[in-house]
Amino acid sequence: MSYYGTDDFSYNSDFNLRIRDIKKGNLDFGWLDNARETVDVRRRDPRRGLTLEDCEVGPYAIENTPEVVRDNRGVAPRGAILAPGSEQPDLGPSLNKKSDVWGYRVQNYWEEAMSRQWNVTTDVPWRDMDKYEIPDELEIAFCQLCTLLSEVEMIATDLPAKWSHHMNSYFQEVKGFIATQAIDEARHAEVFRKRALAGAGLIRASVRGEHALKGILEADSYSEGSVFLHVLGEGFILTLFRSSEYISPTPVEQRMFQLVMQDEARHVSYGLQHLKYLMDNCPEVRPQINGFLDEAERHLTGLFNPDQLESMIVLGGKGTTPECIRHGIAVVGAFQGKQIEEYFHRAERAGLPERRERSPLLELQQRMITALSA
Amino acid sequence: MAIKFPSLEFFQELARRMNANPAAFEKLGFCDTVMGMRVLGKNPHLYSLTFDVFECSDVRELSSPEGAGFDFVLEAPLALWKEMFESIQKTGHPAPAYTLNSLSHVGDRMKVVYDEPEGHDKFYRFMATIQAFVDQAADLDIEWA
Ligand SMILES: [Fe+2]
Ligand SMILES: [Fe+2]
Repeated sequence: MSYYGTDDFSYNSDFNLRIRDIKKGNLDFGWLDNARETVDVRRRDPRRGLTLEDCEVGPYAIENTPEVVRDNRGVAPRGAILAPGSEQPDLGPSLNKKSDVWGYRVQNYWEEAMSRQWNVTTDVPWRDMDKYEIPDELEIAFCQLCTLLSEVEMIATDLPAKWSHHMNSYFQEVKGFIATQAIDEARHAEVFRKRALAGAGLIRASVRGEHALKGILEADSYSEGSVFLHVLGEGFILTLFRSSEYISPTPVEQRMFQLVMQDEARHVSYGLQHLKYLMDNCPEVRPQINGFLDEAERHLTGLFNPDQLESMIVLGGKGTTPECIRHGIAVVGAFQGKQIEEYFHRAERAGLPERRERSPLLELQQRMITALSA
Repeated sequence: MAIKFPSLEFFQELARRMNANPAAFEKLGFCDTVMGMRVLGKNPHLYSLTFDVFECSDVRELSSPEGAGFDFVLEAPLALWKEMFESIQKTGHPAPAYTLNSLSHVGDRMKVVYDEPEGHDKFYRFMATIQAFVDQAADLDIEWA
């Protein structure tokens, strides 16, 4: 036990006296002191049920919460009546400023995540795997890709989980959204593991890739971790999923990628809206974010590791003959150019157009992708 | 009765089928986007589809994308739309090369035209719904233009 409270409630004499009184039927209803007026919560669209946006009313609304939360350091939900003075314990959240975590429309992303959940065990047509014959070289290449993706998804699960308890409880919508992300990512790790084991098995873990992923997990602030994971990393992974759907050996893998792609795009959208919110409301952090991205983009090149590259080339070219490999190289070169271009476009719209000029990815593009497609 | 492609009636029929089949689309989840489908050729056509919660609530033909508020527009020549729907009609689902993602990813046989990255990302966020929407053409009797 590492936390011993300032009071031993089990031996608190006031409490014992009150309990004796309550048992006699003497309720004092003190918990209704200072109670708020009831607010008018309306279901704006009955088809959706009761949404978080419907609940954005009066003192409960994030709009009516100060940019910096000073009164709450515990786990009280936004709008609850706090005990006077400093009686509420301090649970030590370090993210108490809205711009540290918030993203435009985060409530909608949470709702969307909840309504678009799926199940690896039952929503992927596993039984159809028996219908298709996949050549060994493609199967092994596909399982190498699944191995790297399983590593990526582990970190994507851990990053939101790592930051959630640092967030002030008044930012419940962000905590809720990243909780949905953690379950989404756990499901992605599950689907890639299951698919590998149902086929050629897991192949080689990636050294370069894991160094890149460590960079995400070790970010100094949530915003840095978010811009690295959500905007940069998941932006790249979204394009990789699209590419993987395109080069999937059968409709079973295609379905798998259609489903993971939907979750990934939602994570990217939140990341983009967080970065945008941060740039709009806290522009002074721009040099810090840019400095961080200079290093993060270097790290990210770790995801372009030779094992992944080769397996994608085999899948893209549908084989290992020289002609297949030539075709695979052209296909993979095109994906990578697209990944980088889409990232720059997102960064620009989120308020960081300078990434296009200062990014180390440009050099990578020159060195690797142009060479690949040449 | 045969239904012409491209035509407003074709997309209205897909919307009607979607709205008549809530169980399948509720399972896929909320889908909120305004997307365009553009058929290129001698007689180009542009259709606007509004997806709202579990329904396709509005379908119209437009003369220009200006002011339509599209999140993204899928643009392809008539011949490619035809190949895609013919592929869907064979088994109820497109062959791997004819999924919306595969068609629009590399080589850009089908273009995804967008302005805002968030609008673009909606194509992927709602991919399973949009794919299921076009797959509903599996048993339509289509008369090609
Ligand atoms: Fe993921
Ligand atoms: Fe993700």
